[in-house]
Amino acid sequence: MTLKTVDTNGLRKRMPDEIYMSIGDNPIGFYALADQYLVNQQLHNLIESTNTGLWERSITTNEAWWSPKFCELLGYAYGELDSNYLTFLQKIVHPHDSEMMFNAFQSHLKTNTTYKVELRLLTKADGYRWYESSGKAWPDKDGELSRMIGGIIDIDAKKRNEIKLKRNEFQLRENNKIAHIGGWEFDIMANELSWSPEVYEIHELEHDGHIDVSNAITFYEPAYRSIITTAVNNAIEHCKAYDLELQLKTAKGNVIWVRTKGVPIIDEHGKCVTLRGIFQNINEAKLRELELHNSVDLLSDQNKRLQNFAHIVSHNLRSHTGNLQFMVNLFDEVDEVSDQKEIFNNIRTISESLANTIEHLNQIVKIQTEISNEKQELSFEHFFNNTLNAIDNNVAETGAIICSDFTSCPTVNYVPAYLESIFLNLITNALKYRHPDRKPQISCKTYLELGHTYLTFADNGLGIDLDKYGDKVFGMYKTFHKNANAKGIGLFITRNQVESLGGTIKIESTVDVGTTFIIKLI
Amino acid sequence: MTIVKPINTVCVVDDDEIYVYGIKKLINLKQLCPNLIEFRNGKDAIEFLMNPENNDQLPDVIFLDITMPIMDGWDFMESYAKIKPQLGKKITVYMVSSSINDADIERAKTISDITDYVVKPVTYDKLLELFQLAA
Repeated sequence: MTLKTVDTNGLRKRMPDEIYMSIGDNPIGFYALADQYLVNQQLHNLIESTNTGLWERSITTNEAWWSPKFCELLGYAYGELDSNYLTFLQKIVHPHDSEMMFNAFQSHLKTNTTYKVELRLLTKADGYRWYESSGKAWPDKDGELSRMIGGIIDIDAKKRNEIKLKRNEFQLRENNKIAHIGGWEFDIMANELSWSPEVYEIHELEHDGHIDVSNAITFYEPAYRSIITTAVNNAIEHCKAYDLELQLKTAKGNVIWVRTKGVPIIDEHGKCVTLRGIFQNINEAKLRELELHNSVDLLSDQNKRLQNFAHIVSHNLRSHTGNLQFMVNLFDEVDEVSDQKEIFNNIRTISESLANTIEHLNQIVKIQTEISNEKQELSFEHFFNNTLNAIDNNVAETGAIICSDFTSCPTVNYVPAYLESIFLNLITNALKYRHPDRKPQISCKTYLELGHTYLTFADNGLGIDLDKYGDKVFGMYKTFHKNANAKGIGLFITRNQVESLGGTIKIESTVDVGTTFIIKLI
Repeated sequence: MTIVKPINTVCVVDDDEIYVYGIKKLINLKQLCPNLIEFRNGKDAIEFLMNPENNDQLPDVIFLDITMPIMDGWDFMESYAKIKPQLGKKITVYMVSSSINDADIERAKTISDITDYVVKPVTYDKLLELFQLAA
């Protein structure tokens, strides 16, 4: 029986005196490898040269042996590590790895799975480093698994890169998720399109891996298909990159805005071999942008109307004050009493006109003040009849036939004063411009379409040549017929009221046939 | 008296009755011109000018308003440019308006048939100047 103790100082001097033919046959069982290792210079060199550190442990006791290379890999001198497996587990193995190590060991003993673990070990001076440890349990002469022999290699750099890569991948994936951005690649020769998971997600499509270019293009809304097709073709044929914002319909039928960017990858012959790009869901931002555009349009519209209004006010007030000056100067020139009377009558007329103009201005200013009045659920029927009652005389005088149908949409949430004014202006407009050859017929209807409330108002009156006057119909003081009581204020006010609540007003008309107003109230 | 002889007929195209009254009165009072014809909109004026029967009554000067029903001053000028070659008489057109809008003034400048743009109210001195200019 040859029991050997390892002497750190006399390591190289002492030679083992027995060589065992096989590990399993080792009668003593424990220092067999140490003996072999130290005795066999060639084996030693070979193992050293692979940078593998050897270890051995008893399964029955906690005795352990760590080879010189093993110690070196951890930065220790040979023999500096305690020859006790428990101490090793407690002091050297990273606390997070010991359980995994134990499980792998148990699994190896019970089911003979390969023992190969990646774990962190505490080095002498460099903190924890990553190692790969693999080994095998061997039976003693009775067939009992009595010890385990194995090796470790340093995988720190590789492992750290791997972890870093994983972290980067995770981060990229998370970033992409947050930014709703994915990547894609199209191999032109192979005609193969590949999408990153995020691209599938944006399409709300299962990641089944089967996607081709023509298939991908059908996701775009019809209006955008030719744009993307042209861009892809240009990229392939002329190596032209593209960056587009388009609308597509996802597999679940949601219409969203996406940004797709494609860059051609060019081979040494200057030929595009691959297209690579990013794909991003920009729906929310795009919708906000479009909304902003709309607001800007609306604002510039309102601005234009305000400016136009200012010009009109200036013009109308000026024309009255101009006449007033004219008449006052003329008054000085004439001597005849009859002339003076005439001129004074004119001054009286001017004063009335001025009052009227001011009244019109008040009405327009009122549109803006009334907009803040509370909207209420209003009955069309009720307001329409009230308006008819108010102008009873006019209606009777013209013999007008007025019919209304509010059954499809009986109510609207609107500013009461506006609805009253809209009905009044439309009815008086229809009566005023009735056809001389027939009794006026007026038909008023409401309906709902795509969540909007519409009001249509049709008459059989004079009609108007829209090619000629189309843009002026709703202008202030625009009159188109030889009509003494035409003031050109009603439709101007109606349009302002409708538009100030976000609606629109359109006109269809044929001369000598009639006119229809189509108003989107809300 | 500073009557400018060649001006025999003045034509006022304007829907503002008080202004037309004032111009008429002033021209009569100062004996600026013996004949005056008036129209309330551009269309009536064009129809008068086009009618060959009115050849001997064609005006020397037209005072043209911008804002009028049926046919405004701009549309009148378009039609006028078309019929001008058939008229066989040199007519001076003044655009007379209450508008001090630059857009209107600039637009009038681009129309070669318009001799000048006059802002209302028209004073006697200005009227006299316009008559002399047209003579």
